[in-house]
Amino acid sequence: MLSEKKIAGRRTWSETITDSPSPWLFPLGIILGATFLYPIFEIARLSFTNAGLIGGGYSYTFESYLSLLQSPNFANMLKVTAMFVSFSVVFQMLFGFLIALLVDQGAKRGLRVSMVTRTAVLSAWAIPGVIIGIIWSILYEQSAAGILNYVLSSPGQTIPFLSDPQLALASVTVANIWRGTAFSMILVYAGLQTLPSDVMEAAKVDGANAWQRLFRVMLPLLAPILFIDLVVVSIETFNTFDMVLALTGGGPGRSTEVVALSIYNQIFRQFNLGQGAATAVLLLTINIVVTFVYIRFLEGNQEVR
Amino acid sequence: MSIAKRVVSRREFLRLGGAGVAGALLLGSVGCGGDNKSGENAIRWQAIPAYSLQAPDENRVEYLQNAISSWEESSGYAIDPLVTSSDVTEAMALLLEQASQNRAPDIAMVDSYIFPRFYDFVQPIGDYLGDISLSDYFPFAREVMTGEDGEVKGLQFTTDVRVMYYRTDLISTPPTSWAELLRTGQDLLSEELTPYLFPAGRDEATVTTSLFPYFWAQGGELTDADGTPVFGEGENREAMVNSLSFIEECVESGITPRRVTDYAKETDLNGDVASGRTAMFLGGNWQVNLLKEIIGAEQFVSQWEVAPVPSMEGGPNHTTTAGGWVWGVFPEDEEKQRAGVDFLKTAFVSDQGMAGWCSIGGYLPPRQAVFEVPDYRGNEYTDTFREHLNRYARNRPAAETYQDISTALQVAVGQVVSRDASPEQALETAVRSVSG
Repeated sequence: MLSEKKIAGRRTWSETITDSPSPWLFPLGIILGATFLYPIFEIARLSFTNAGLIGGGYSYTFESYLSLLQSPNFANMLKVTAMFVSFSVVFQMLFGFLIALLVDQGAKRGLRVSMVTRTAVLSAWAIPGVIIGIIWSILYEQSAAGILNYVLSSPGQTIPFLSDPQLALASVTVANIWRGTAFSMILVYAGLQTLPSDVMEAAKVDGANAWQRLFRVMLPLLAPILFIDLVVVSIETFNTFDMVLALTGGGPGRSTEVVALSIYNQIFRQFNLGQGAATAVLLLTINIVVTFVYIRFLEGNQEVR
Repeated sequence: MSIAKRVVSRREFLRLGGAGVAGALLLGSVGCGGDNKSGENAIRWQAIPAYSLQAPDENRVEYLQNAISSWEESSGYAIDPLVTSSDVTEAMALLLEQASQNRAPDIAMVDSYIFPRFYDFVQPIGDYLGDISLSDYFPFAREVMTGEDGEVKGLQFTTDVRVMYYRTDLISTPPTSWAELLRTGQDLLSEELTPYLFPAGRDEATVTTSLFPYFWAQGGELTDADGTPVFGEGENREAMVNSLSFIEECVESGITPRRVTDYAKETDLNGDVASGRTAMFLGGNWQVNLLKEIIGAEQFVSQWEVAPVPSMEGGPNHTTTAGGWVWGVFPEDEEKQRAGVDFLKTAFVSDQGMAGWCSIGGYLPPRQAVFEVPDYRGNEYTDTFREHLNRYARNRPAAETYQDISTALQVAVGQVVSRDASPEQALETAVRSVSG
């Protein structure tokens, strides 16, 4: 009798385990915790220390945040990042959308050039950021050998693409737009393939012109995809530093030093782990806030509709 | 006829699985143990890519392979070669981190200006030097290799120096003062010729090559004895404003284009130099071999000569920055320390070793005696470089704040060149960045 109960109890336990998704999710949880949550926790912890990269002793303090906020470069770094990200996101999405529309229309008309365009744009996305930085630095070269200067400037005059502080930021932003447009194009192009053709045809039959079909039918249907595009492109641009590092290193002065590059410089060039971690937490916070604002904006729009 | 099914129970499955994993680990460990280069008798030797077996130059690789194999045969130890990333600053940062956690390789090369920060982690090696005399080293190298306690902490095996290169077909007497340089530059200024170039981007070269020589020659100091930044105080401030103002004047007068902010390293100037449209530039001794390859040895030597970096007053008063690489030895095991130093002496530090490696790589030896070794092959400029090392060279300060100072002053130079700030404003921002 007792042994039967035991067997029944064991069965119940094993059945409970087998039926529950927890054992299957447990390994994933361990991996996520070790590779994602723990580093975030460590960065947050280190941001409240005066730790250096060379190790040794450190103490818990708010000094890293205070010196970050009081730094004469802080406001400039935020301004540079805001301009870099906002222009990059707007134009990446705009160009991505336009190219996707063109490629889609070309494909519908059986034009081979649309496949070539798609491949060419995608190749920009596949190139590592450092290589893109080097490619664009060759294009922006200000000596007589510079390609863009040869095409755009008059004899004896060169355009200071990377040595004028304002122009340098614009130049870096253009290079980033070139790099990131492909991602937006891929997403929008994928979205265009999912549009219900009957809805589009119905709009056409009802007499909607091309603009009306674009703004009243297509864009609302693509809104979820565009939202994902907006979030991903924004976060990716905020986190960009490799291309800027290769192109200008943050200069001239600090005119192109975005937050992500500042983190790299503080940790790997100045060995200042505490302040670098504090800046990383700031960047994480910016990313979370921006995503939250986007979500609220989308929810608001959906409620209005 | 029924075939009895053989069902593997969960327990059996776990046993089999466990035995399999254990077997794999055992086989793996046996496999690892068989590798001579990772056992107890292996010396883990770390170098930057250009100094390693992965160097793009076949001559270097051949030299290293020969040095390693002959030393392995005679010592009974094996060299386990490790390579850092090509970003030197990042590689040094990671090595510092490893050293502070007792995870550093047995031997690693360290940029000389950063070596004092390794003093707490490297082992003293004075007992293993044998016939290598410390007094034979240039004073600046001796200073780097020796800690405050007088112990020998590392072995410098290459050095370098910054100079002004000038075209002999355009300039008969090189300018020694800032006023002379501006005058010479303006005389040469034309659409076809850029009179004076120097690196002014966001990298170490901007300060070591384009700023510190001006600043130090006026008696300026970056830090005090405690390592506290003082470049913005009193006479140091005046010297720094003068230096930044001179850089500004070079740009304003038109002899230096604003695009120098694109040049992060000395070698970034090579393209301009090779184009034949540059009259003078600040650079390093290591550019000679590169430029000879690009322009052609005969043409380069016939056109270019080197002179001290001009100073404010001119005359014999000049200063320049020396650099180079130092070997640090990390293991606590004394036998490994001895073996490691023996390898370093054989390949890089003894008369023959240093002469061989410096000849192959085109480096300057940090030991005076090596210049006289018959096997040492310098170039047409080596005697001048040696003289500059003796008379003008000095190190960057060993202070922990140096990285902050360097970054802040790189930014200051960039701001001045790009007209983003006046010299005074740029210096003020640099001082606040470092003190914040």
